[in-house]
Amino acid sequence: MVIRPRWRKVLRDMWGNKTRTILVVLSIAIGVFAVGMIANARIILDRDLARSYAATNPASARLLVSYLMLGGGEGFDDDLVQVVQRMRNVAAAEGRRSLSVRLNVGPDEWRDLQIFAIPDYEHIRINRVWSESGAWPPPHREMLIERAALGLTNAQVGDTVLLKMPNGSRREVRIAGLVHDLSQLPSFLDGTIYAYVTFETLEWLGEPRDYNEMYIVVEGDKYDKEHVQAVTNEVRDKIEKSGRSVLMTIVLEPGKHPLSDAIQTIVLLLGVLGFFSLLLSGFLVINTISALLAQQVRQIGIMKAIGARSHQIMCLYLVTVLIFGLLSLLIAVPLGALGAQFFTRFMAGLFNFDLADFYVPRSVMILEVTVGLVVPLLAALYPIIAGTRVTVREAMSDYGLGVQRASHKTHPGGRMAALLGHLMALLGLSRPLLLSLRNTFRRKGRLVLTLTTLTLAGAIFIGVFSVRDSLLTTLDDLMDTWQYDVQVTLSRPHRIEQIEDVALSVPGVVKAKGAGFTLTRRVRADKTESDSMFLMAPPVDADLVRPVIVAGRWLEPDDENAIVVSTNFLSTEPDLSVGDSMVLKIDGRDTTWHIVGVSQFLAPISYVDYADYARAARNAGRASSVWVVTERSDLEFQSQVAQQLEQQFERASLRINSVAKIAEERAEAEATFEIIVILLLFMAVLLAFVGGLGLMGTMSMNVLERTREIGVMRAIGASNGSIQQIVLVEGVVIGCMSWLLGAVLAMPLSKLLSDAVGMAFWQSPLSYSFSVGGALIWLVTVVLLSAVASFLPAWNASRLTVRDVLAYE
Amino acid sequence: MLQQLFRRLKFAPDPLGTGYRHGNTHFIELRQVRKVYPSAAGDVVALNGIDLMIDRGEFIAVIGKSGSGKSTLINMITAVDRPTSGEILVGDTAVHRLSEERAAIWRGINIGIVYQSFQLMPSLTVIENVMLPMDFCDTYPSHEFHDRALHLLEQVDIAEHAYKLPSAMSGGQQQRVAIARALANDPPLILADEPTGNLDSQTAEAVFHLFETLVDRGKTILLVTHDSDLARRVQRTITIADGAIVADQAITIEDRQPDSDQAVILKGDVST
Repeated sequence: MVIRPRWRKVLRDMWGNKTRTILVVLSIAIGVFAVGMIANARIILDRDLARSYAATNPASARLLVSYLMLGGGEGFDDDLVQVVQRMRNVAAAEGRRSLSVRLNVGPDEWRDLQIFAIPDYEHIRINRVWSESGAWPPPHREMLIERAALGLTNAQVGDTVLLKMPNGSRREVRIAGLVHDLSQLPSFLDGTIYAYVTFETLEWLGEPRDYNEMYIVVEGDKYDKEHVQAVTNEVRDKIEKSGRSVLMTIVLEPGKHPLSDAIQTIVLLLGVLGFFSLLLSGFLVINTISALLAQQVRQIGIMKAIGARSHQIMCLYLVTVLIFGLLSLLIAVPLGALGAQFFTRFMAGLFNFDLADFYVPRSVMILEVTVGLVVPLLAALYPIIAGTRVTVREAMSDYGLGVQRASHKTHPGGRMAALLGHLMALLGLSRPLLLSLRNTFRRKGRLVLTLTTLTLAGAIFIGVFSVRDSLLTTLDDLMDTWQYDVQVTLSRPHRIEQIEDVALSVPGVVKAKGAGFTLTRRVRADKTESDSMFLMAPPVDADLVRPVIVAGRWLEPDDENAIVVSTNFLSTEPDLSVGDSMVLKIDGRDTTWHIVGVSQFLAPISYVDYADYARAARNAGRASSVWVVTERSDLEFQSQVAQQLEQQFERASLRINSVAKIAEERAEAEATFEIIVILLLFMAVLLAFVGGLGLMGTMSMNVLERTREIGVMRAIGASNGSIQQIVLVEGVVIGCMSWLLGAVLAMPLSKLLSDAVGMAFWQSPLSYSFSVGGALIWLVTVVLLSAVASFLPAWNASRLTVRDVLAYE
Repeated sequence: MLQQLFRRLKFAPDPLGTGYRHGNTHFIELRQVRKVYPSAAGDVVALNGIDLMIDRGEFIAVIGKSGSGKSTLINMITAVDRPTSGEILVGDTAVHRLSEERAAIWRGINIGIVYQSFQLMPSLTVIENVMLPMDFCDTYPSHEFHDRALHLLEQVDIAEHAYKLPSAMSGGQQQRVAIARALANDPPLILADEPTGNLDSQTAEAVFHLFETLVDRGKTILLVTHDSDLARRVQRTITIADGAIVADQAITIEDRQPDSDQAVILKGDVST
């Protein structure tokens, strides 16, 4: 096929300025890559998480009937399961037993391990678990570990580990294999290790052979949460009518993995940043095409003089942009697919689900091709229309486009440069530096777009760091709620004096207070019951809890049956507010409480005074947990004290159910936050890269347009160093200006971003904190980026000889 | 169909010989053409009521001092610029009424322009430069572009450099390419703006000889020049000063002698 001369011109122009072509293509490619990768990952994650989760046949509801840690109670057997199974609105019901034990993970180091006993591993109907490797079903006196939690055990499949049971006994159990249980939160989120055993093994471990958890799948529309809730309430009533008490009902969003929304939110946030990088690459296209047209204005004039019409010339440049887009697609589509594959694997690994075959959906291909072609075309349209509308006379006499060049002195930018120049002259700066400053303001349109690109990149970069700071500030606020360091939960209530004395006998403990802790439900006026909430009951005068109060006040020693509820609880019980009274069911008895305050918290936790709680629970003078304040609050010290507490309680024959270290909780939360931050940062780095490319493009264009000027400077004796300095300083000046603007823009932008992250993950804005460190990191980055981006153009400029300049058209 | 439409735009002399469509009897007619450029310092009159008639096959030199208005005059005839008032008729076309878009088509088919600084596309080879006007105007089927361009390059004696880039050629060679490009669509009118201004005398002579050959083949050529020797060798000279035609003289064989009166006049006109 013969290529027409006009298209050959297009191709040769692109080939002739390879740096420009590479910059634009790379820039568009990054935008398309980011958008394509995120869109692809979103579809794959959505599909595979939903598919994997559906394959487990997730329970519509989980009812905790007897749970030792929460105060004990009677278990149930297959008869009750059959009764529930036969209920009109229940499609399936299954019983399991779960219990918390302590797993030895190192010398005197123990972690929480949750054991599930499942009656028939070959026929699990609800919340299915699958064998990942090793034995299946779990052999007698052996256990299987959830695959994502193996790392926390400090052991391998085949190893024998030591368990400390709630009754105080110790058992050595071999890890016989791994299972995949998608119904549980990934271990990295809550630090819990999940193990699976048979009921025979459970008996051998000293536990009764009955169930304490009922899993149900509702009949009818199992995706209708109201219906599910209603059926769950029926089941709860049925169980309670059998004389047992349901401690807690857990109804998740039907058909949705509990982390589905979080994953989608992360992906959406990344998508927004991906879109930004595409937008910024559009700016580079505008700059490049504007420069190309300005550079070729005479050629445009000639083409018009020899018969080319405006639309033909427009087509030339539009095709140029189209080819830029097509070339970028060649890079971005495969890279986007690779990136999506990597990202989905990372997310699937993190959230513990399996991916099916990877593919690039047609819709993603269409999206990539559309954004890869349309965005650059849209960006280039205005400069192309404006540039090709020039008349032959204007083009040949350097009018038109040249007007801007000729009249820059009268523009505010020119005045600004002049002012800066005077200022710098007063400061005694050298001529080349002054020239750099003046050069910076010569092409205002280009400067604005380059500044916009770098400013946005900088604002988002600082914004991401501010989100990180805000997350940590929020965490600080949350952690500030707990003024203690270690919480020891015992297998049953004991005399307060006894457990406090035991705790205080441990070196490093400065304060120890027994506290109440239970699950409760609100009984509404119409006798319906709310979701379960945690009721924490420390002695108010001990100052162990200091939540952020958003309405009303904190508990006072003189209060009677006063309660502080959380914002999270109020969001599910919107009819309540400060001053209202409500009835809570505690240990099967209804008691009335007066709401005196609302605390900001992301979980349904309410606080009452220990004395009021003990009265309501009819358990005065006894407590099942002790809250300990240690001398130091670092994790190492807390862990050391926790170990000694565990030993001390054991020596006193007080059985421990769990030991929580606040610093560890914080570290786990921080790890989760870091993942969000790292993902956001990855996109911010992409943006910075686009910004750098934009600056490099601008500097290349500036150098190209000033070829003659540079030649003249060389002719009058400018050294390589001086020429390079002029270009480099101009780039760095632009970088610094963008930093200043970016830092200012980052303030509202980072607030928006941190609010969005907070609302997305916790339905509440984060405690906003502007990251000064992030701004400083960006300053260093942008200066380096500017220097690197200007280096190549500076080097090219210094290589120009006077002879080259004379040959330059 | 587009090709036919373009072809229709080509000059079509009245078959009865009574004149062109707009009543003009000469191939080029300028009637009271006036061009005023507004400027901060007040209006600048570039052309002040020019009347000019040119017939087919004439070889004319337009001479005048810098700023006299000769480039503006050429711009008017090539529809690069529009007159403030007056009429410009070239063949059947009322050039002063052409829109920018139609002017481009008309110019591409009917006028070949040669510039002092050649103005070749630097990224295209010599032959591609010559093919470009055919490509834009669709005057020939695309499969003929190459052969025709090569033929034109042969005519200007530069075919052996057909596949070189302009930057690899001398000024004289580039000007030959520019002339070949001007002939690409076989236009009846060639306008050359200082075509030998950047060339040494030997090369300038060769280029001028090319123009003479073209005139012999029936082309009408308007040559803007400062070169008095060249101006003496055309058929007619038009002298412009301060936007007006101050002399319009036919050059006879005698005038072409270096010591003739006309030659002295010409020398005086262009030497400043």
